[in-house]
Amino acid sequence: MKLTDLLGLALSRLGTGKMRTALTMLGIIIGVASVVALVSVAQGATKGISDQLQSLGTNLLTVSPGATRSGVTRLSFGSGTTLTLADATALSSLDGIQAVAPEITTSKLVVAGSQNETASIIGTTPGYLSVFAYKTWVGTFLNQASVDNNLRVAVIGSTTADNLSLTDTSIGSTIYIGGLPFQLIGILQPKGGTGTEDDRVLIPVSTAREFYTTTTSVSAIGVSATSQDTIDSVSAEITYALEQRHGITSTGSDDFTIATQAQLLGTVSSVSDVLTLLLAGIASISLLVGGIGIMNIMLVSVRERTREIGIRKAIGARGRDILSQFLVEALVLSLAGGIIGIGVGVLASFGIGTYAGWGFVFNPLTVVVAVGFSLIVGVVFGVWPASQAARLDPVVALRYE
Amino acid sequence: MSAAPGEPIIRLEEVSRIYDTGKVQVPALVDVNLDVAKGEFLAIVGPSGSGKSTMMNILGCLDRPTAGLYVLDGQPVDELDDDGLAFVRSRSIGFVFQSYNLLPRTSALENVATPLMYQGVSKKERLRRAQAALERLGLGDRIHHEPSELSGGQQQRVGIARALVTEPALILADEPTGNLDSHSGTEVLNLFTDLHALGRTIVLITHDVDVATAADRAVHIRDGQLREEVRA
Repeated sequence: MKLTDLLGLALSRLGTGKMRTALTMLGIIIGVASVVALVSVAQGATKGISDQLQSLGTNLLTVSPGATRSGVTRLSFGSGTTLTLADATALSSLDGIQAVAPEITTSKLVVAGSQNETASIIGTTPGYLSVFAYKTWVGTFLNQASVDNNLRVAVIGSTTADNLSLTDTSIGSTIYIGGLPFQLIGILQPKGGTGTEDDRVLIPVSTAREFYTTTTSVSAIGVSATSQDTIDSVSAEITYALEQRHGITSTGSDDFTIATQAQLLGTVSSVSDVLTLLLAGIASISLLVGGIGIMNIMLVSVRERTREIGIRKAIGARGRDILSQFLVEALVLSLAGGIIGIGVGVLASFGIGTYAGWGFVFNPLTVVVAVGFSLIVGVVFGVWPASQAARLDPVVALRYE
Repeated sequence: MSAAPGEPIIRLEEVSRIYDTGKVQVPALVDVNLDVAKGEFLAIVGPSGSGKSTMMNILGCLDRPTAGLYVLDGQPVDELDDDGLAFVRSRSIGFVFQSYNLLPRTSALENVATPLMYQGVSKKERLRRAQAALERLGLGDRIHHEPSELSGGQQQRVGIARALVTEPALILADEPTGNLDSHSGTEVLNLFTDLHALGRTIVLITHDVDVATAADRAVHIRDGQLREEVRA
């Protein structure tokens, strides 16, 4: 039999029981839609996180002090005091390094006019801007002179500016950080993301040391490599330089840690792969249930149409003609369900993506896989009822009431 | 494949059909010999339980004899596989059933065209031939009606059109008037007489001796055995 004949038979049959056809397809529609939507959600979430990490700068390395020990207890990561401003200065002379930004981090009450908030205060150097990929929105950033002269000047993030009701006209005004007056010299452009990167106050590292800490240690040193490709060699260089400076032999354990964005991205992507698989797996269960729905309907249909099968055989249909007829019917059901399911899934992922703010992520591969899956479901769950139909004895089938 | 000149369309030699129910063996046909010549109109008459239906199934290639030789239109069919039997049914046999056996929710035109679909005839050609067959049987104005919208007599004429559309060597009619009122029944029998006059080979299976008189030869079947009728 020709495919067009088989399709004609399937479509006219499915057209005569529209409600049954719709309900049978609904199982596949829900299955495929959930696969498409959940995979898209997983990928959208991953993209959202990766974009944030990318916005931090992909050629960024963060050097953190190692954990300290109190007796036998290992204190939290980064709690050490092993990194110093001198280390940061030393790193800036290494090859392949674009900029270095030490960070002395503390938290203080910031007051501007009648507004106040407790903000994260970071003492740093002019390199901070390029290392962490910030841009100034208005005013200027910290310069070398402000660091050399321990100036009380501050640059604030966009969220901090909003919280304190500071705008472009506020440049030059005085804000109070931990009770000390600072001159506001600049406001940063927002980076987006979760917002914590936009909620901070930057002051010269020398000023921070003078007023807010007692030691020479820094919380972290941000380093940007000249390119993403040299990250690994730069990381090795920094390790060697710091081991030399800290007097650590190659067998001793380092008192610092270097984290790269690439590592973070790698972690995120492996987590998201697992997440995607997990969600797709859950969604596949509904696809399976939809397939069983098709098999159920096809079995009922074979039973109901036993006499029709007998007639067809009497007037010349071979077993394989009957098999093809029922199989094509199951395939049309599952494929039509699959295509509608893709539509519903794409709409759902568009809605979720828009609501969650990572935009619409759509992977054409998902469509291919979903269509392929629904075809497989059609064949797998259609073949058995169809072969039941094909094997019917025409004598028995013709007498069936 | 068709019978050589002078060869019968149907030749049964010592054909038996025994149903094996596991405990007992039930003989439905026993050593049946029958020749049907080309262009003959034969009636096979017998009460229910006589082996009539088995005869119909064997002749119609819906079932195989357990013993004996069956040659249809020059083709020995007793050893064909299922696909082979389907091929013979498709090319050589046109069935007319007591309960019409039209496909439900399917127009008269599509019903008549369906046997041609299984022969692989193109859609355009088979609709043309189906329409011609329906027009020959006076149903030209009913081609788009579904079986449920037709009277019994009309449904049986659609059934006959379906049997004729493939130009089969043999028309096999199983109680074709059994579900019809006497007027429609007479009409249908007249149709068979007309077809016979046009040279068609027809085997009519019935329990009704009166119906059998429409045929030019009758054989009686009883307890699975055939007996030639001697006509006065």
